[in-house]
Amino acid sequence: MDIKLSEEQVQLKEGARKFMEDECTGEFVREMEKSELGYTKKMWQQMAEMGWLGMAAPEDCGGLELGTVDLVILAKELGRNICPSPFLSTVVIAGEAIARAGSDAQRQEFLPKIVEGELVLAFAYQEYTRKFEPGVIELQAKEDGDHYVLDGTKMFVEFAGGADILLVVARTSGEAPASSGLTMFLVDAKSEGIASKRTPTMARDHHYEVGFSGVRVPKDRVLGGVGDAWSSLEGVIEKAAVVFSGYTGGVCEMMHERATEYAQQRVQFDRPIGQMQLIQSYLATLIIDIYGSDTLTFFTAFNMDKGRRVRPYVAKTKAFAADTVNNTTNVGAQIFGGIGYMEEQDTTLYLRRGKQYQLALGGLDYWEDIIAEELIDVENPTLLT
Amino acid sequence: MDFDWSPEELAFRDEVREFIAENLTEEVAGTIFIDTPARVAFVDKMAERGWLGMGFPEKYGGSKKPIPLAQFILTVELDLAGAPIVGKNVGVVANTILNECSEEMKMEFLPKIFKNEGQWALTYTEACAGTDIGAMQCPAVDMGDHFEVTGSKLFITSAHFAKYHWIALRTDPDAPKHKGISIFIMDADSPGISLTPMHCIGTTGTTHRTNEVFLDHVKIPKSRLVGELNKGFYYMMQALDYERFAILSFASRVRRFGKIVDWVKNAEYNGNDRPIEDPVIRRKLARMATRVEVGTMLERLCICAAMERVPAVEAAMNKAYGATVGADMAELALDIMGPFGYLWAGAEHAPLNGYLVDEHLMAGHARVAAAGVDTAKSIVARRLLGLPNALGKPVLPAK
Ligand SMILES: Cc1cc2nc3c(=O)[nH]c(=O)nc-3n(C[C@H](O)[C@H](O)[C@H](O)COP(=O)(O)OP(=O)(O)OC[C@H]3O[C@@H](n4cnc5c(N)ncnc54)[C@H](O)[C@@H]3O)c2cc1C
Repeated sequence: MDIKLSEEQVQLKEGARKFMEDECTGEFVREMEKSELGYTKKMWQQMAEMGWLGMAAPEDCGGLELGTVDLVILAKELGRNICPSPFLSTVVIAGEAIARAGSDAQRQEFLPKIVEGELVLAFAYQEYTRKFEPGVIELQAKEDGDHYVLDGTKMFVEFAGGADILLVVARTSGEAPASSGLTMFLVDAKSEGIASKRTPTMARDHHYEVGFSGVRVPKDRVLGGVGDAWSSLEGVIEKAAVVFSGYTGGVCEMMHERATEYAQQRVQFDRPIGQMQLIQSYLATLIIDIYGSDTLTFFTAFNMDKGRRVRPYVAKTKAFAADTVNNTTNVGAQIFGGIGYMEEQDTTLYLRRGKQYQLALGGLDYWEDIIAEELIDVENPTLLT
Repeated sequence: MDFDWSPEELAFRDEVREFIAENLTEEVAGTIFIDTPARVAFVDKMAERGWLGMGFPEKYGGSKKPIPLAQFILTVELDLAGAPIVGKNVGVVANTILNECSEEMKMEFLPKIFKNEGQWALTYTEACAGTDIGAMQCPAVDMGDHFEVTGSKLFITSAHFAKYHWIALRTDPDAPKHKGISIFIMDADSPGISLTPMHCIGTTGTTHRTNEVFLDHVKIPKSRLVGELNKGFYYMMQALDYERFAILSFASRVRRFGKIVDWVKNAEYNGNDRPIEDPVIRRKLARMATRVEVGTMLERLCICAAMERVPAVEAAMNKAYGATVGADMAELALDIMGPFGYLWAGAEHAPLNGYLVDEHLMAGHARVAAAGVDTAKSIVARRLLGLPNALGKPVLPAK
């Protein structure tokens, strides 16, 4: 057992950190919040050139075929600077879904383009429901000759406005709540019948409500087996949850560093506020959670890469990372006193994201139900050591 | 990055598990804190296998298990099973002796520790010196050919069956308080030592006894000085870093949580009330399971650091997190039990025979002992985050 990063991993981390520090400043993040796309094609292209967009893709599609651990390392760096980019939806979710469930033709059509930075995909999953379980999905896909016709509404589709392709999870049979009968479609974002409108969010990131009205999707754009989306999508979402936990871990790290630095500088009562035990306790409690969350994230990523059953571990990883990012951004902001709540202060970019990230990609209810199920209902619970 | 155990480590773990399955009788399991013949015999058997001196040089009676994490694996497995652990003697005393003491002292005491010859009491606390351990006053006066001690110590666990005291005493009353303390090895049967038992609250089953120790003109030979004179505070701090994870590994909490979950799964009350079907209870257990996992991870972080250095920060994190989870876990269990939660051991319907009542009542102790949660957080704040000492004079930031 040696849980330090390898030399290559340190290089990946340091390279990413440098790039993020140079390019992804607070000012840039604010610009992106106001922009049309929510990210820049230029940075997306740079990410491709650095090999980031091909990290996960299989070698025969031009990728580097690296593991979840490496994705987590990178995601942490993106998180530190809350990098606005469709990395998660394109590379980790859609890319992974295509690699797992796609036909040879689909893999060859889409993956090299993802690797090259020529394609952005958005994940159209959640609907008008508080729940994250796949069973609640209602958006209809009806067979019509060599097409399917999609009708319904997706919500919280990040980057839908700037995406080329939407990965849509739709119901081809059965009725909610049933996780069978769902099918994945790779839908051209410019198809007729698609209407997107941006939904203002706390993070001011680019979420869209996407309406589908009689959208015709050719059958060769069905991804994986008809009615069988969940068999591959569950693993994809698990991987995304772990990578996202890495991302929010980076958010925590940066917020905490800034709060600590401020606590060292800000003087009240003739001493830096960081010399007061209560402030120290806040910061110490947070950093313990951050270290714990970080180690758990890597532990789960490591075991995932080994191909082990990690369902309960993913759920714990996501649940804890979610609480930690909410807590760290909240308490961290408080260390700054009044200035911590001012629009022009960069840490408020983090404060505006903490709670949202906690609720995103399946809230606590979703993941804690899985933890309970694995803990209580499963005969021989998975125990990784 | 590699989280996996090596094949040798896994083989060793299997060996320990087998040993526990063969030797851990109910009599031994119930006596973690009490020295009974059964407990001594159990630890003797571990000593015979060379498990107490694992990783220590052979010339001191150690055994060269070339397995880096063997000591940790042993502690965790023992703790998971509720067996006596070897942490205190080996983790605290032997490590300090190895790092700081003369060759003679190493030759004298290390083999004894590894053979389980005699138990040790850690004798630090005084009425005036708890968390602020540097404030201790009990003096050891240099009498030329020996030191003489008169005073008292409080809360000294194991003193009623210990063979040795690992005792901290003031050797320079004029030096700044942290610079005038030394550690000695004192024979527990030295003339002039007497004890008064102090009993912890708790149900009868696992009553934990500690002691007040009175010292009346007790002589300690000069050869029993540990390391250098007046360096005792530093040795204590180093040993506390070990103690924070060597004595109580997080595995004890994993075991406790397992017991709680098992109880909840099987509990059933009037009116078809099965707690396990209650969604609120399921969520609460899920949340606790997550925290237990995080505790396990923090311990892993600590262990990996310990392979390279004294893991001061990691041990403090481990301590702070573990003790908090431990306290909250007992609380959660009693909440789920409702009024049955306050039944005392021996009551007919006391869940788990009142075990969690004990855990609840003593949970705060884990938050206080061995530099408690608050102190551990101060350590994290200072040593990891670089914040100025809260107890010192104002330290203004550099301009
Ligand atoms: C069952 C049991 C077994 C023990 N075994 C041993 C043993 O074998 N050997 C031994 O030497 N001692 C032993 N102790 C003593 C134990 O280590 C002390 O109780 C502990 O150090 C706390 O000291 P105190 O009780 O004087 O509390 P105090 O130090 O008076 O603390 C009171 C409260 O103030 C808080 N506090 C103190 N200082 C600070 C600070 N700087 N910042 C924030 N909060 C602070 C503490 O956290 C605590 O909540 C044992 C105690 C018990 C209960």
